[in-house]
Amino acid sequence: MIEATSDRHPAPTGFLARFVFSRDHKVIAKQFLGLGLAFLAVGGFMAMLIRWQMAHPEAPVPVVGRALFGASGGIISPAAYTSLFTMHGTIMIFFAVTPILIGAFGNFCIPLMIGARDMAFPTLNALSVWTMAAATGTLTASFFVPLGAPQAGWTAYATLSTAVGSPGLGQTLWVVAIYLNGVSSIMGAVNYITTIIRERAPGMTWFRLPLTVWGFLMTSILNALFVPVLAAGMVLLFFDRVFGTQFFIAGSTIKGGGDPILYQHLFWLFGHPEVYILILPAWGIVSDLLSFFARKPAYGYRVTVGTFVAVTALSSLVYGHHMFTTGMSPLLGESFMVLTMIISVPAVLLFLNWLGTLWRGAMHLDTPMLYCLGLVFTFGVGGLTGLFLADITADMYLHDTYFVVGHFHLIMAAAVLLAIFAGVHFWFPKMFGRMMSEPLGKLHFWLTIVTLNIVFGGQLLIGYAGMQRRLYDPSVYEFLRPLLPLNRIISNAAFVLGASQLIFVVNFFWSLARGHVAPQNPWEVGTLEWTVSSPPPHDNFDEIPVVAHGPHELGNPLVRERLGRDWLAQSDAADVLAPDEGTA
Amino acid sequence: MPIGPPRDASLDGHLVDGAFRYLTVATAICLAIVVLVMLVALLFHRQRGARVAHYTHGDRRRDHVLTLMVAIAMFLGIDAVLAGRSLGHLETRFWRYPDHDPNAVRVEVTARQWSWTFRLAGPDGRFGTRDDVVTLNELRVPTGRPIYLKLRSKDVIHSLYLPSFRTKIDAVPGLTTRLWFEAREAGHTELGCAQHCGVSHYKMHGDLYATPDADWRAWQQRAADDARLRFDAKSDTALEAWDWDQG
Amino acid sequence: MTSAALPDARRDAATATVGMTIFLGATTMLFAALFFAYAVMRAQAPAWPPAGQAPLPRGALGVNTLVLLAASLALRAARAAARRDALASARRRAWGALALGVGFLAAQVIVWRALVGAGVGPSSGIYGSVFFAISGLHALHVVGGLMALALVATFWTRGASAARRLGLCALYWDFVLVVWLLFYVGACLR
Ligand code: HEA
Ligand code: HEA
Ligand code: CUA
Ligand SMILES: [Cu+2]
Repeated sequence: MIEATSDRHPAPTGFLARFVFSRDHKVIAKQFLGLGLAFLAVGGFMAMLIRWQMAHPEAPVPVVGRALFGASGGIISPAAYTSLFTMHGTIMIFFAVTPILIGAFGNFCIPLMIGARDMAFPTLNALSVWTMAAATGTLTASFFVPLGAPQAGWTAYATLSTAVGSPGLGQTLWVVAIYLNGVSSIMGAVNYITTIIRERAPGMTWFRLPLTVWGFLMTSILNALFVPVLAAGMVLLFFDRVFGTQFFIAGSTIKGGGDPILYQHLFWLFGHPEVYILILPAWGIVSDLLSFFARKPAYGYRVTVGTFVAVTALSSLVYGHHMFTTGMSPLLGESFMVLTMIISVPAVLLFLNWLGTLWRGAMHLDTPMLYCLGLVFTFGVGGLTGLFLADITADMYLHDTYFVVGHFHLIMAAAVLLAIFAGVHFWFPKMFGRMMSEPLGKLHFWLTIVTLNIVFGGQLLIGYAGMQRRLYDPSVYEFLRPLLPLNRIISNAAFVLGASQLIFVVNFFWSLARGHVAPQNPWEVGTLEWTVSSPPPHDNFDEIPVVAHGPHELGNPLVRERLGRDWLAQSDAADVLAPDEGTA
Repeated sequence: MPIGPPRDASLDGHLVDGAFRYLTVATAICLAIVVLVMLVALLFHRQRGARVAHYTHGDRRRDHVLTLMVAIAMFLGIDAVLAGRSLGHLETRFWRYPDHDPNAVRVEVTARQWSWTFRLAGPDGRFGTRDDVVTLNELRVPTGRPIYLKLRSKDVIHSLYLPSFRTKIDAVPGLTTRLWFEAREAGHTELGCAQHCGVSHYKMHGDLYATPDADWRAWQQRAADDARLRFDAKSDTALEAWDWDQG
Repeated sequence: MTSAALPDARRDAATATVGMTIFLGATTMLFAALFFAYAVMRAQAPAWPPAGQAPLPRGALGVNTLVLLAASLALRAARAAARRDALASARRRAWGALALGVGFLAAQVIVWRALVGAGVGPSSGIYGSVFFAISGLHALHVVGGLMALALVATFWTRGASAARRLGLCALYWDFVLVVWLLFYVGACLR
């Protein structure tokens, strides 16, 4: 049941209560993190298999081929390849990035950053993680059922995803898994929004919220509003598959029937907000971190908040740009095109604020900052390629080619992934009480950023040359055969990229056990989570802090003069910045 | 080996290529500015010695006006120019279907897992007669005349992809979609399916042959004669005619 | 601005209401999407109800609507009683609301069976598809509300928290009622 808490509850004892069925937001964050990282590894492994097929069609996969694809002699079969990209996309979006970025960081940061003892509804929070676990279980089960894993792509377009195109239990389980995943997201969203509205510490006004929290707030609003639309689509698809309804199965002229395009409307009315659901937390994190590591306030804080709100408001109005080639009415298509282009205005403003934050700063190139700078670049390239796709004439050629794949990987698999790495490095000390290794982190960064750009930049080129996505064997097309060398280069870069991730894994576990013990405030910044010990005590704050300052009071000359440091905690006394003789 | 799209064989494909080229140049300039700013910051605005960051919240009116001006300039320079150009091309070219053009060649395209069927009217110019020419995974068109396609699907969604003509259009069960193009030069190009339609999506490949009109007419005559000979009234696809205005 | 200054109980009540409101916003979007699907299906059908399909039983569905309305009123009465600290009568009324809710579900099942008997089922065509999908999903939401209400009615202790929880139930119940009314008026009557 929904139950609000404000009073402190005693720290639970016993292993199960503390680590498994915990209602503590910090423990739940770690549960989401573990689950998400595990699935990130699975999804990444699948990407390696996809790249193997693009580089060496018809050749058995080395090492793991026999075990995974025994029936076809270690060669990836068309059916297996179809399942691979379907599950790669599904896992990465719903079961890797969503749990890590929103589940883990959202849970960990929101209460600590706003000065609350926990989420507003701790039980609901625990329920959310367990619903997510049930969803992952269902998804995993879909691999092992008769007629094989889901094969309709992560978008699961009807009619292909109905019983007409995909008989068998696998696709049904996929539908259930996505539905459960959505339920978990909605629970999280209700919790996050309520917590941010109701549980802010005294003095934590809306415009003193760290931008990270703003990112989570906007993401949660989109989750609460648009995941239900996906749920509706999944429910109808489920009914079509199981109860023989025909929402998405076209009828004949005599007998009225359903409409496959209706599915696309429902899916993308969710799907486009979803891409902003994934990017908004990343925007929030990078906006804060750029300021922290440039030792300079975030440039144009209020404008940045405004861009978050604008993008959130616009996000549902542009979804039709995924459907330009479905033969939609000209007026509708043109409106979607123009609206999509308008969304680039807030994006550019946000981008300029990032550059403004860096400009004339005193940058510390610690690992989290490196990831953030990488993010700025890859998001720039990825976002600008979005403009190509927004243009209907260009999209008629580029739609469903690797250009689209390159576009969204540059944002989701480069920018968002880098935000995840930045966040893990940045909050690791607060989460686990130890620092991650800087040398290993830097090595991982450089290997990752170089290979990422080769892989996803290469995909843009391949797409420009006309290669369709979801193509098991491009050599069927004569005009795609010359692309094989480039595909090989991309694949080799992807393998190096995949191997480099092992450095991150090593760094993660090594630091967990052996990292330097973290001080309370290793990065010397002022947001509230750094005013408590690392890791924070059970109830976060011995006493609820009183907030007197914004989150980015860095490099303020007055503070330097009076306190002798270049940062100011949000909960430092208000009179530090008093105009007259303040107390030092 | 240069990487790029296949040779443009169409009348209007250069409009697509033009949009792409404009975007490439414009976004490359933006990106160059971004990279330049970042490089300068990285080289000169680093923590070194006693360097102190410039303290500003960037929220003075001046800052807001500056960022807003850049954003608007970028919107006008890239998006607005492009929208103006593309909307015009859509209205006057791509979406102006040759409904009343007697010169247009009409084709009924049926997509199914995993093949394309093309039905052309015989020399009588009418669908649903014994001389309809039906080809599998092979589309023959004349150059210099608008080709007007209508598409339907028998099972799942497919998408007819003509890379050398810079265009594609979905074939959706329960709907009739349409597309038109014109071949500028004779020759062989490829057509394919762009929308994931199941395990053998990758095999849904075909050929497009464009020939000068006279040659094409000769072929059509031969094929129609053939069709008349082989006509089987009992086949349920023997006579199909969609919602063309057959006048 | 921030709510730290309020007394705990009122603070919790307000927080719970905020949470419930957001949750109902999400659920609204779910049904909005379903109604959108309904509208698309109906707009594309050549005739509605399609030729040869028995129309929906308006009368029986109207009776069910009244039952749902009665449940909602009973729940409001229960909350009012709880606010007055008249716990015994609040409990009676809550169980009454529960019984009415179960009655609504039973009556829906009767309608469903009659429809299937008349040849309109989930798989009989798009007409049956939309009716069964939306009324079925609505029924699931009723079941959820009933379970919550049963929990509240069984486990409550103090008057204040009973009133608060009954208030949340009543809010949810009103929502379920409005969704049904919209569906009944928009889909069954017209
Ligand atoms: C987090 C993910 C994310 C984000 C943020 C975006 C952002 C954008 N996307 Fe993308 N998109 C996806 C993920 C994302 N997308 C995915 C997953 C798909 C494919 C789904 C599928 O089919 O499987 C997709 C597909 C997709 C399509 C459909 C393509 C097709 O299928 O044919 C389109 C078309 O308009 C599009 C457009 C855009 C635009 C205009 C933006 C804009 O928001 C971008 C705005 C950003 C900028 C404009 C750049 C920033 C500004 C600068 C760098 C300026 C600097 C300049 C100076 C200083 C002068 N996207
Ligand atoms: C956030 C989402 C995300 C991410 C991160 C990625 C990451 C990658 N993707 Fe993926 N991709 C999608 C989302 C994503 N992708 C989607 C939505 C599709 C479309 C599917 C469809 O068509 O339906 C797609 C499709 C897709 C294709 C096209 C397939 C096709 O159309 O035929 C290709 C091909 O090259 C590809 C490649 C890659 C590669 C090389 C990576 C690399 O970046 C991977 C590198 C990462 C790793 C190797 C994992 C790292 C692991 C860790 C860091 C784990 C740490 C663990 C512990 C500490 C325990 N992806
Ligand atoms: Cu047909 Cu892909
Ligand atoms: Cu989109």
